[in-house]
Amino acid sequence: MIEAILAGAVRGGSSILFAALGETVSEKAGVINLSTEGSMLVGALSAYAVAVETGNAWMGVLAGAAAGATLAALFAAMVVWRGANQLATGIVVLFLALGVTALLGRDYVGVGVEGFDRWAVPLLSDIPFVGTILFDQDPLTYLALLAAPAVWFLLNRTRPGLLVRAAGERGEVLFAAGHSPRLVRFSAVAFGGMLAGIGGAQLSIALALNWSENMVAGRGFVAVALVIFAGWNPIGALVGALFFGGVESLQLQLQAQGVSLPADLLNALPYLATLAVLVVLSRRRLHAAPEGLSRVFEISR
Amino acid sequence: MPHMRRTRTLAALVAALSIALVAAGCGDDEESGAASTAAAGSGEKTKVGFIYVGPKDDFGYNQAAYEGSEAAAANLPDIELLQAESVPEDAGAERVMERMISQGAKVLFPTSYGYLKYAQAVAAKHPDVVVVHQGGLEAEPKQPNFGTYFGTVYEPVYLAGIAAGKATTSNKLGYIVAFPIPQTLANVNAFELGAKSVNPEATTTVVFTASWCDPGKQAQAATALISGGADVLTQHQDCTKTIIETAERAGASTVGYHYDASSLAPEGWLTGSEWSWGPMYTDIITAALDGTFEGSQYDGDYRVGLQTGDNPFVQSAFGPSVTDETKAAIETAKAGLAEKGIFTGPLTDQDGKEVVPAGTTLTYDEVEQMNFLVEGVVGNIPK
Amino acid sequence: MTALRRAVAFRPTGVLVTETLRWAATVLVGLAGFAFFVAAVGENPFDALSAMWRAAVVDPIGPGEVLVYAAPVVLAALAVAIPARAGLWNLGGEGQIAMGVVGATLASQLLPASLTSWAALPLLAIGAAIAGAIWCGVAGLLRITVNLNEAISSLLLSYVALRVLDYLVNGPWKDPGSLGIPQAEPVPSAQRLPLLDWLPVFGGGRLHAGILIALVALGVVLYVSRRTVWGFRLRVVGGNPEAARRAGLRVPLLILTAMLAGGALAGVAGFVQLTGVEGAAKGGIAGVYGFLGFLVSWLGRHDPLAILLGALVVGGIVVGGDALQIDAGLPAAAINILLALLLLAVLGRRGRTAGVEG
Repeated sequence: MIEAILAGAVRGGSSILFAALGETVSEKAGVINLSTEGSMLVGALSAYAVAVETGNAWMGVLAGAAAGATLAALFAAMVVWRGANQLATGIVVLFLALGVTALLGRDYVGVGVEGFDRWAVPLLSDIPFVGTILFDQDPLTYLALLAAPAVWFLLNRTRPGLLVRAAGERGEVLFAAGHSPRLVRFSAVAFGGMLAGIGGAQLSIALALNWSENMVAGRGFVAVALVIFAGWNPIGALVGALFFGGVESLQLQLQAQGVSLPADLLNALPYLATLAVLVVLSRRRLHAAPEGLSRVFEISR
Repeated sequence: MPHMRRTRTLAALVAALSIALVAAGCGDDEESGAASTAAAGSGEKTKVGFIYVGPKDDFGYNQAAYEGSEAAAANLPDIELLQAESVPEDAGAERVMERMISQGAKVLFPTSYGYLKYAQAVAAKHPDVVVVHQGGLEAEPKQPNFGTYFGTVYEPVYLAGIAAGKATTSNKLGYIVAFPIPQTLANVNAFELGAKSVNPEATTTVVFTASWCDPGKQAQAATALISGGADVLTQHQDCTKTIIETAERAGASTVGYHYDASSLAPEGWLTGSEWSWGPMYTDIITAALDGTFEGSQYDGDYRVGLQTGDNPFVQSAFGPSVTDETKAAIETAKAGLAEKGIFTGPLTDQDGKEVVPAGTTLTYDEVEQMNFLVEGVVGNIPK
Repeated sequence: MTALRRAVAFRPTGVLVTETLRWAATVLVGLAGFAFFVAAVGENPFDALSAMWRAAVVDPIGPGEVLVYAAPVVLAALAVAIPARAGLWNLGGEGQIAMGVVGATLASQLLPASLTSWAALPLLAIGAAIAGAIWCGVAGLLRITVNLNEAISSLLLSYVALRVLDYLVNGPWKDPGSLGIPQAEPVPSAQRLPLLDWLPVFGGGRLHAGILIALVALGVVLYVSRRTVWGFRLRVVGGNPEAARRAGLRVPLLILTAMLAGGALAGVAGFVQLTGVEGAAKGGIAGVYGFLGFLVSWLGRHDPLAILLGALVVGGIVVGGDALQIDAGLPAAAINILLALLLLAVLGRRGRTAGVEG
């Protein structure tokens, strides 16, 4: 049963993990994108629609990634180039995504799709316990698990990552070195939206095999909270996403065993946990926050 | 100075909006003129409004109601339908009903459970409009232009439970439910009782998702039940596709609800319960438009089932794996249900407490107040 | 070009004309974008827009419904505007509204049902205001004690509050008479806000006194922020907290009181929805009023009059959207496109100055 709970945590957490990794990159560049939920929504719908039309789930993933990136690029264009406020623009863009997906998604409600099946990794899936949890999942979940170390590597060990971090910490230095901090930020946000879009795709064409209006149901906001919970660390985001996914999985699995928990209060737990982590570690966390991101809020100081 | 600038900006914005609105208004005049001539040409049609909580093609509750409305419109050429989909169960629903009335609607069908109090409020305000609510019970004070209607959902669910009880090899059935309301609890109980009638070992595990349609959560719930050993899944959700397909992929059987979704599960589909609202909608609209609604059977809480003959709930077609023996058992049970209801004592709840004593059968009204799970159901009503 | 603009700028009417044209262009951009989407799904955009216009303005119940929707938006926007004076972000409107509903319901349960409206309603409002203030005050407190950013904490707290309300109406407060619908027992009819059906324009509609409460709150905020020492000090803190500190202002106290006041206003929005519209506490009662209030306040630069205008526009779009559903068969959420495009056009137009000003 613990096996089933953890396997469910991985499966349910992977869409959140994609979005959280994307948001990590975005925030590392100094931009907080509240429309992550929106990127997931357009990603979920685009992936579903393209998978339906082409019959190819991987084409769907590409479409989801492109749609998530496009929405984030719209957000980034407003924020980075037009200097619009990040929080307000994020919410506006989210409203746009809600409306667009509700309208354009009408034609895909109840339509069948050839999505991703679960694909057990040969040999590895035979490992007791761990095999079921980690190696008997859908392909996008594997991708999510691999994406966490990949994003860590990207941010900390590569030149683009250095640029992203520099854009978040010391835009002036970047500028002095002949780079455009704006271009870097724009790219980082769009990249983040792309990952969120793939997260949406996981939800619609790997987990649920269905499209319905507003199907992301708050998972994008969970991802934003998670990034802070994780201290802007991709590996921490992995842990956090499993935790968030685990809460849902635990609750459903326990019900399936005949144990019921107060679901509503349990659902509040991840947010409270994030708050608690922030409070306990606030000084260190704020230190860990990208300088440019603090500046977003700095206005208020 | 900045203060003045702001005031000026505001004035400008107001002016700009006015221009835009006037422009829109001009278009509007021509539009409504054209519309009214068209209406005059084709003779005056009476408007009937339908409000759905989800999209009209959800393979579920809303699609069934939508198709019922279309059937009624086909039966009654003199009516014109006003439809609104995906209307949330909040004050916005009242607004949509008011809007339909202001567009001339004479009969309203708010078809979701959560619309009840808004529907009653609207009915109280518009005595000349008939409002009929799908699935609720009329609260005091009773209004002459308000009624509720429903079928006895749990009868076909009981029969489907027989198919499930015969089909299961693990003796574990799974039921994914949105909220613990009397209607859903009655279904879960009927399903378990049906299964138990042919397979005393069968238990039904119930999982509540706290949402009528969250496909991600549905997939997780279905997987949880299957990994817990359930090999037949059924559900009480508005959108049904995810659970049916998740079960099919995992090799589990499916009992449908709301709609014939056998196309989604060619292997595992057993049977299901679906609606045929057309005749009842037609009858209600006819009564309303004839002016005979008040005092009719629909003015109040109208419930039909096998005992009265014309249950709007019907059983879906059987899937390939259902044996002739099972079909025969279901036919026998069906004939029996017309004699004696499902919730006939002695019935004990999960704790072994007697909830329906021997010799009594719950009335339709009592079923609508149901707040227990029968013995054999695994899971709790969230407190 | 610059010369021309400067020449025009000397005459106020000239500015008014150019400003008007620019705003008209902004609105048109938003409308055009929306029309594009409507056309993309095969509906006639002009029919859709004219149906919206009829529903919100021409139809007898339209204007009243617009005001019903605008009332909580105004209050939620003011809940953002006051902290914003001190440079603070209140992103937790939904949760504070939910807490307002909880506070008012709690007050209603404690009061004897026989109490008259005049005695009961203010007490319910106070209960709501206190609950909202506490919820927002926590974010303020975390800000001044552990320097935790209030935008993040208020957003997180918002989700907690929504779950708490869900828990209450699904559990301890669930009305046994509601036949399973997760909602609390209805408040007694004496504790419902009176309808304004004596107003000839809105006769027969659902318009309740909530809009008057919103207008009074608006006036109070206007007065407090422009005419009181506290309001002035908030602006000093918002302008330059360091300078404020040097000038001897008690910055932490000002931050806390600003957040408390904001939360109280959001709580009152919950009171208005409870007693004016729903009549019983239920999940989802907070809608997206908090986010809408945030946007309206922010786009109106936290100016009370601009907030009123913005809330009316939002209300108009939402009420107009009903017609979109019935006449054009579009999903209710489609109006979010129009809303977002109009706001984006405004955001884009406002450009850089807005970003700096916050």
